[in-house]
Amino acid sequence: MSDAFAVDVDGVSRSFGTFKALDGVTVRVRRGEIYGLLGPNGAGKSTLIRTICGLLEANAGTVTVLGTRMPNVPVLGHIGYMTQQAALYPQLSVQENIEFFAAINGAEAGVRQALDLVQLWERRGSVVSTLSGGQRQRLSLACALVHHPDLLLLDEPTVGIDPQLRVQFWDYFRNLAAAGTTIVVSSHVMDEADRCQRLGLIQYGRLLAEGTPTEIRQQGGSQNLEEAFLNLAGRRVES
Amino acid sequence: MSARRIRAITRRLLEGFRRDRRTLALLFVAPIVILGLLGYLLRGSSTVPSVGIANEDTGPLGVIVADALRHSSHIKTTDIASADGDASLKDGSLVAYIVLPSNFSQQAQSGTVAPEVHLEGSQPGEDAPVIQALQQALISLASQVAGRGISFQPQVTYLYGGATYDTLDYFGAAFIGLVVFFLVFVITIVSFLNERTQGTLERLMASPLRRGEIVVGYMLGFTVLALVQSIEVLVFALAVLRIHNQGNVLLIFGMEALMAIAAVNLGIFLSMFARSEFQAVQFIPLVVVPQVLLSGIIFPVSSEPAPLQWLSDVLPLTYAVNGMRDIMVKGADLTAPSLLLDAGVVLGFVVVLIAAGTATLRRRVA
Repeated sequence: MSDAFAVDVDGVSRSFGTFKALDGVTVRVRRGEIYGLLGPNGAGKSTLIRTICGLLEANAGTVTVLGTRMPNVPVLGHIGYMTQQAALYPQLSVQENIEFFAAINGAEAGVRQALDLVQLWERRGSVVSTLSGGQRQRLSLACALVHHPDLLLLDEPTVGIDPQLRVQFWDYFRNLAAAGTTIVVSSHVMDEADRCQRLGLIQYGRLLAEGTPTEIRQQGGSQNLEEAFLNLAGRRVES
Repeated sequence: MSARRIRAITRRLLEGFRRDRRTLALLFVAPIVILGLLGYLLRGSSTVPSVGIANEDTGPLGVIVADALRHSSHIKTTDIASADGDASLKDGSLVAYIVLPSNFSQQAQSGTVAPEVHLEGSQPGEDAPVIQALQQALISLASQVAGRGISFQPQVTYLYGGATYDTLDYFGAAFIGLVVFFLVFVITIVSFLNERTQGTLERLMASPLRRGEIVVGYMLGFTVLALVQSIEVLVFALAVLRIHNQGNVLLIFGMEALMAIAAVNLGIFLSMFARSEFQAVQFIPLVVVPQVLLSGIIFPVSSEPAPLQWLSDVLPLTYAVNGMRDIMVKGADLTAPSLLLDAGVVLGFVVVLIAAGTATLRRRVA
């Protein structure tokens, strides 16, 4: 294992009862890159992300994050995790929410910067239950990065938000990566894939292919990323 | 009104229940358990009070009365020395003792008997069968003393409470604690479940927070609320309802606080076993009702059938209720071993529940 990898998932399997959600997945994410986990709903993307941050334990294989074998609690202070649904406290204000998440990570100083980043500083007094879906998603992102994590795990961060906001989110992600943050982002929207430096295609709990968007196009034999993915998925099913 | 649409709603409802086995079980099992428990409690209880008899009469009539008392169906009697009476009341082995004074026969001849009736007094209504048994025993006396009626003037004294002590005083002491325990339990279990369903618990688990920190943080937060509530309940009970209190108000508050902390931790622990608020609310009849029936709030534990007494002995509320009554009715302080035991057991439950809540936290986040 090299410290060059922010995330080193090595042969990880995870089952729920008889259902194999992850089946021998190996993924290595370099420090400072944006790594996209692509695949249809139910492919195992969320399970992989939750295994990376130690919420789930692998049945087989190892997960190493920032040089530390998971699950490990202290290293979680260097990880930001944005869940699929905007997990916030609806009765608290924007500021109260982010201050809470800052406090449990010991990063009270980062509140203003994080709210500025997602453009919610002006709305800091608003109660979360009065916010729109997009605003909640933005706040959820701010809560995930308030402590300047070295690794940001984003589980379908752009689901259910309008195209304009999606573009904004990807601007945030690029700026963060440029500043040295490693980002693992899952999506089932192919047009987002091109914004990642490297991709991992997941289906039925297995890694079908891995590489830069250009490499994936070549492997899948199509200029269209979506078609390339379908080709790769089909080939796997046939074999 | 469309019958079809109405039928669709009815059907949807029943289909939902078919998949929620736990709710179905509650709906059909809980009534049997609760009613069965109540029936067993009421029919199986030995409600005949234990009464001591100290016959100090130097004349012949005391023996007759004592004998009549022994055969009374209202009470169960044992012969004691009057000097031991108060000790027996205190340790709970007797609820009352009757002293027939040394000049009892003379009193009867002169037409007015004044036997002493010493009552434990913490449970209202227990004096009635004692007085009744005594009155009946004196009827047998009348036939011995020919030609004149005997007037009956028992000298009643109370170890605890007193003549003005009523049902509210008895239940009040227990209910002060119960109200706090019940409400705090419900609020905690629902809030902690919210944390789970709105996804924030998962977020907490993916942060450097330790499980124990989450549980203790929760406990402290709810305890603040619970303590404010305890103060309110206490002030209302003592100042407005004027519930009988012999004890130190701070001790009552301390016992209330312990019950509140136990309720918080029970709520956190049980929230691990509920997937929805609906299921959480179902814990109320399962957890709270049997405790209310068996903790001695309504029916004294000592009068329960033996198997239920064993059950009562492992319920935390039994000790809490007993402790509250020790303080308020009997004026117990921290030198009383019984109160220390009660407080210690409740504290022990708190510690066990904190550990259990912490241990089950990670498993159920996924």
